[in-house]
Amino acid sequence: MGEDKSDVLQGTLDLMVLKTLETMGPQHGYGIARRIEQISEQALRLNQGTIYPALLRLRQRGWIRADWGTSENGRRARYYSLTKTGKAQIEKETESWERVAATMARFLTVQ
Amino acid sequence: MFSRILALFRRRALDRDLDEELRSHLEMAAEENRKRGMSHEEARRRAMRDFGGVTQVRETVRMREGVPFVENLRRDVAYALRQMGRAPGFAAVVIITLALGIGANTTVFSIVDAVMLRPLPYAQPQRLVEAQSSGMGSFSAEDVSYPDFFDWRRQNRSFERLVSYHDASFTLTGVERAVHLNGQVVSWDLLPLLGVSPELGRGFRPEEEKRGSRVVLISHALWVSQFGSDASVVGRTIHLSGDAYTIAGVMPASFRFPVVEPKTSFWTTLAMDDDANDHHPAVGNRGMHFLNVIGRLKPGVTVARADADMKAMAAALAKQYPDSNTGHDSAEVQSELTALLGDTRMLLMVVLGAVALVLLIACGNVANLLLARAREREREMAMRSALGANRGRIVRQLLVESVTLGIAGGVAGCALAFLVTPAVLRLIGESVPRAADAGVNLPVLAFALLVSLVSGVLFGLVPAVTAAKADLLSTLKEGGRGDIGGHHRLGSLVIVGQVALGIVLTAVAGLLMTSFVKLTHKDEGFNPNQVLMFNFETPDSRYMKTRPAFYREYFERLRALPGVQSAAGSMLPPMTDNAAELSFENPEHPVPEGQQSNATVDAISPEYFHTMQIPLLMGRDFNDGDDLKSTQVMIVNQAFAEKYFHGENPLGKKLKPGAGNGTPGGPPWREIVGVVGNIRASATQREMQPMQYLPASQLALWCCMRTVMRTTVDPMSLEPQVRNLVSSMDRDIPVTDVSTMRDLMGLELAQPRFAMILLGAFAGLALVLTVVGLYGVMAYSVARRTREIGVRLALGAQRGTVLKMVLRDAAVLVGVGMAIGIAATLASASVLQSMLYGTASRNPLVLGGVCGVVAFAGLVAAYVPAMRAAGIDPMRALRAE
Repeated sequence: MGEDKSDVLQGTLDLMVLKTLETMGPQHGYGIARRIEQISEQALRLNQGTIYPALLRLRQRGWIRADWGTSENGRRARYYSLTKTGKAQIEKETESWERVAATMARFLTVQ
Repeated sequence: MFSRILALFRRRALDRDLDEELRSHLEMAAEENRKRGMSHEEARRRAMRDFGGVTQVRETVRMREGVPFVENLRRDVAYALRQMGRAPGFAAVVIITLALGIGANTTVFSIVDAVMLRPLPYAQPQRLVEAQSSGMGSFSAEDVSYPDFFDWRRQNRSFERLVSYHDASFTLTGVERAVHLNGQVVSWDLLPLLGVSPELGRGFRPEEEKRGSRVVLISHALWVSQFGSDASVVGRTIHLSGDAYTIAGVMPASFRFPVVEPKTSFWTTLAMDDDANDHHPAVGNRGMHFLNVIGRLKPGVTVARADADMKAMAAALAKQYPDSNTGHDSAEVQSELTALLGDTRMLLMVVLGAVALVLLIACGNVANLLLARAREREREMAMRSALGANRGRIVRQLLVESVTLGIAGGVAGCALAFLVTPAVLRLIGESVPRAADAGVNLPVLAFALLVSLVSGVLFGLVPAVTAAKADLLSTLKEGGRGDIGGHHRLGSLVIVGQVALGIVLTAVAGLLMTSFVKLTHKDEGFNPNQVLMFNFETPDSRYMKTRPAFYREYFERLRALPGVQSAAGSMLPPMTDNAAELSFENPEHPVPEGQQSNATVDAISPEYFHTMQIPLLMGRDFNDGDDLKSTQVMIVNQAFAEKYFHGENPLGKKLKPGAGNGTPGGPPWREIVGVVGNIRASATQREMQPMQYLPASQLALWCCMRTVMRTTVDPMSLEPQVRNLVSSMDRDIPVTDVSTMRDLMGLELAQPRFAMILLGAFAGLALVLTVVGLYGVMAYSVARRTREIGVRLALGAQRGTVLKMVLRDAAVLVGVGMAIGIAATLASASVLQSMLYGTASRNPLVLGGVCGVVAFAGLVAAYVPAMRAAGIDPMRALRAE
């Protein structure tokens, strides 16, 4: 109830955020959103705002950390970075995602 | 978690952080758009569009930022209430079922709370204990003699204080109309022991235990009713049974001692038992055991240590005084509350256990209802989990729903308890000490809340876990019609459990009913119909010499009253909760003093057996010729003759019962002149006891015989004539305790009756709930199998076969439940033994009957759904899919 479409993509979005932080280092919300848009080459039409519930969720799980900092053009912004458990989590999440993807792929070829 | 709770308080700061973060996001986006050449306005609009709903995101984040548990709970409860509103019939059935279960539990608990849990109304009641004498021998020797008590008080190392008390009744004269009062004769330090002070005046002083001292403390009620709440009453002299007493103080209205005798009007010191005119005053007589003893343990002393201390002292005293104390060579110390409750504790535990079973059955019904409903909601649940709700979330949602239902049921149950408690209290009457104080109060409400929560989780857990396990894909694919066997198995298990519990409860109720019927239909040994009993005193101060003459005239005038068939006197008539035992010497079996046999005794007037219609089996009744100058005589009952004369003719034999007739030389030898039939001294007495009857006219101290009167008219209608007659003979003698023998028996049966009625009601409730539950499960199973049955019928199955199939399913459930229930009953019924009369706790007839009732009820419950199954139209059933 009250779950919006972002919930369907919950696991996916979380992994994307984690992976972004892994490759780019500490990043603010806008930066993460833009990066996800760019990587997915606009295939994923995602409201940038949906990133924030995801960020909060990851923070509450202790996978990422938030600190206030200053952006490249001198604006105050909240920077997110991976925690130790977050780094470990990426591996697990990636693995399980690959398994799902492989299963789906097999399914689709059989059809 | 801690940071999340903090978040609730730091909400403002967090909101600011979030707002700033979102603002900086939008500004960064707008700036980048501008760099790409958009206009200022366009860049802003584009940034907003890419972001999506700012407010929505802010709300979502805020919601999760707080304590998600609290937030989710709020949402879950709101959702649960919506669900209840959507299915009001379902909610109503659940709430009524729970209200019955929780209401019954709350009512019983309010009584248990008042009787067993509430502390006694004294200072530090946990340190108060009751000390009793005990010993070998066949008779109970709980009471203590004064010399023993004085030794205990002096020698013990366990008690801060030790106080003796016994009841006494007096007539208060010198007031408008003489009144009969119940009082207590106590050691001087009762009030310091209890930690209570008088509301007016002072307590007793140590020197007021000395011979000749006559002081009283009066109850608040007496102060109001007889002395008009006059504060100057302290120091005034009043007359109790002819003696002058000084009022030392008035006790507060809340004061009660003993707790079980709320009608006590005064307390006086044990100086009363030290009468200068008496050659053998009670305070110096080690052989007179009639005291109760209450003590306050020294700090740090346990009941067990005090018990060991007292046992050692009693054993030493028995060695020191073998003549009087051989039968009192031990002692027992119990907490005061335990001593007060006695067997009642067992009774209450059985009732509490029974009512808990009723609640379990009710929970079973609700669980089955929820299971059925959970199946209907499978699609909803599957949708939610497809939309990303995880299983924990769904389980929690369902649990919140059931707990919400539980609490709604609890509120209704409390209301029910509020209505029902007064009726139950009336039923209990005075048969359970302190029960009258019961009421719905804070601890009781807390209990009800706890029970509601526990039952909510109990009946909610099963469907919730099942729902969480539900197979998502198959459910969605089959449009919510997939058959999940687990549900059905669980529902069946619940039914089996309910039937088993129902059997246990019904068997208990059946045993109590059998026992009660036995109690009320057994032969008392006398005819209790048309008998009036009452009491009055002839105080020694005025009747020491004239008593025989007074009674002779009194009985003559009484028998002459119209409507009176016969009348007689008895000191200890049956059904009055008064009994005494007396030792006797038998020349054919001489034993050392102190080890003689004891038997129940009664002192009576002539015509007693005739009036009570106790058959005279041999010899003769007492008559007016049996006086101090003639041969000293006695009569025994059949049980006595069998036990002590082993079939020999007891007439003409001589015994020496230990009761003097006032002549020098101690108790006389008495010749047995008659043998009478046995009687039951109390309605709940299990076996007929040996009894010795002595003529009151040949006894020294026989002050107060109750009058027993057989009437040809309604016994109670003669009360005014009786009162007039007595007051015409002496206007300072009030008549008390007027009641019929039947009423007295009713009082004695109050406890077994209320146990039977309560348990019967619970068993009835349990049966109804079980039948409804079974009906529900069968009906639901038939509804779900409509298509299957339709196919069977279409393929040529007979309707009779279908009927049998459904009935067989039900019979299996009932049969398995019954087997478990019988095993459980057989295993646990011995607990009831102390509450049963005239029936074994494993009564095959009762158990058989109970099984018959449950089997019949189960058949009825299954028949309607079975008929419906047999009546299914195959075409319709198949088309409906």
